[in-house]
Amino acid sequence: MKKTMKTASLIMAAVLTAMSLAACGSASAPTTAAGSSAETSAAETTKAETTKAEETKAADSSKASGYKVAMVLDSSVSDGGWGASCYQAMVNAAKDSGWETVYTDNVATADFTTVMTDYAELGYNLIFAPGNQYTDAVKQVAEEYPDIKFALLNGTVETENITSILPDAKQIGYMAGALAGLMSKTNNIGFIGGMELDTTKAKLECYEKAAQKVNPDIKVSSAYAGSFSDTAKGKEIASSMVSTYDVDVMFGDASAVDTGAREALAGSEGRYDIGQPGDLGSADHKIIICSVVTDNAALLKACMKDVEADTFGGKTIYGDLSNGCLSIGTFSNLVSQDIQTQYKEIVDQIKAGTFIQ
Amino acid sequence: MNAFFNMNFLTELLLSTIRMATPILFVALAETYSERAGLVNIGLDGIMSFGALIGFLIGYKTGSPTTGILAGALSGVAINMIYAFCTIRLCAPQIVYGMAINIFAPALASFIYRLSFSDTSTLIQGVSMKAMPIPVLCNIPVLGPLFFNHIPLVYMAYLLVPATAVFFNSTKAGLNFKAVGEFPKAAETLGINVVLQKYIACVICGALAGIGGAYLTICYTSTYSEGIVAGRGFIALSAVIFGRWMPSGVMLACLLFGFCDALQIRLQLLSPSTPYQLLQMIPYLCTLFVLAFFGIRKSGPKANGQPYYREER
Repeated sequence: MKKTMKTASLIMAAVLTAMSLAACGSASAPTTAAGSSAETSAAETTKAETTKAEETKAADSSKASGYKVAMVLDSSVSDGGWGASCYQAMVNAAKDSGWETVYTDNVATADFTTVMTDYAELGYNLIFAPGNQYTDAVKQVAEEYPDIKFALLNGTVETENITSILPDAKQIGYMAGALAGLMSKTNNIGFIGGMELDTTKAKLECYEKAAQKVNPDIKVSSAYAGSFSDTAKGKEIASSMVSTYDVDVMFGDASAVDTGAREALAGSEGRYDIGQPGDLGSADHKIIICSVVTDNAALLKACMKDVEADTFGGKTIYGDLSNGCLSIGTFSNLVSQDIQTQYKEIVDQIKAGTFIQ
Repeated sequence: MNAFFNMNFLTELLLSTIRMATPILFVALAETYSERAGLVNIGLDGIMSFGALIGFLIGYKTGSPTTGILAGALSGVAINMIYAFCTIRLCAPQIVYGMAINIFAPALASFIYRLSFSDTSTLIQGVSMKAMPIPVLCNIPVLGPLFFNHIPLVYMAYLLVPATAVFFNSTKAGLNFKAVGEFPKAAETLGINVVLQKYIACVICGALAGIGGAYLTICYTSTYSEGIVAGRGFIALSAVIFGRWMPSGVMLACLLFGFCDALQIRLQLLSPSTPYQLLQMIPYLCTLFVLAFFGIRKSGPKANGQPYYREER
């Protein structure tokens, strides 16, 4: 037993030295720096983290501006919902501006400040925190590092180096509710929330108001899954809504849970779903009739331009229909032409602020 | 309130209960086998996640749900072998290594997921297992669609319960198995190979937990997302204690939990003014209550959680 342990530990030591030599010899300095600091922060945390240093070089190498953006995410980047769309937004915005991107996901709430501090220490110009839950951590780290800029999605804080990005949750709710009201044949529509965030509550309220404005007999049933990743729960909630209340159009604000809901809807005829925040539908999609698209990439690009022009901070960038950050997604063929025209008129009214006073 | 007495509502509720209890039942039976051999395996959540991913991946690549389930089982065994080696051969603390599996396996699963499918904005759709109604029995008026129109894996889970009960109580192999968890020294003196039995227990535990995980991504939904297990492994652990390590008790515990979970969702729909957090507590409050009154730690296998040193005096 002793002899095998000895040889095993010798082999492990040799492997580790080989790995560290290879890492030191690599030309990409930011990769190793991020990798080693990630190792130390991983040693401190008990939750599993996946850190990937992605050097996304712009297609035109002369556009590489040397700026770097980092994202901190508490859910997963491949959750098919919020995390995925924020990540895509960052990557798209960075590609156009020639920035480098990096992210850390599955970060536990207690570790927000640690991870953000690590990125600030490494000299990342912009730190992107996609949600209201990061507000406290962002405020704390921003005070300690006045040269690093912070973009807080769905936040309400404005300081010298924090900018809040606020897609208009009310308009999202109105847009979804109006379409649900137009498309529902059973006069019952549903809403699935993840956690009871302020933005989710606002979306639900406006969903109900808009649907009832379009069709006064509409009834809305809502449920919260309590998680953003439990797909099976979403399937259960959707199938219980369909069987108990004969709901035929659904809208969700809960990332992976919505995917489960769509699976349940696929099992019956004539049940539809409205997607968000990306453009999830297509012309021949049988379930998703349309999406309410939030262009987080455009909002982030505005932040990046500000960092480059040194005009960052002290404001809130609103994303709504008037500046193109909210838009209607692709309609499925299941939506008839005159419903489409009616809906587009309603969206213009929402844009002008005349839909619901 | 009259919605409650609507036949349709009740049948849907019971159907939902059976559906939601099945993955927990697989994992709870896995843990029963493991604990009966004296190994407390709290890494069930991790094994489930890994089984869920591999099952999904293989099902997606081959297009066959059965191959996916088999792959899920094999991957569960593979992960559990790490636990088995550390706790049986190296006699390390079982709780610590169970927790290590819980951290290591889901991370490995999400790593493999990202390697295979680069980040997309929607979840990938995999294969789905179809329901298999039993020909004559599914036409019985009320009970038919409730019990006899399910996915084959659901039948397998509920048939495993009497099979396990017969195995443990009426077969020689089963009694030897239990002896290993009760008093391994005595079992060893009677010629039972204790170490081999423990390894076999780990293989069974890993296979069933892997099938439980693969059930989530192949039969229940047909996508994989990182939080799909949502703590079911830990619920299965409490189901084993609640069920006093007997397969029938374990099944009742899982059904109770599935019932509370299904009820909680429907209650949310029926009374939108009640804060949903209160309703979500129902399954866990129920488990706490039952554990407090009916769970007796002492009725478990006596040598549970203790490492076995063959040469010890």
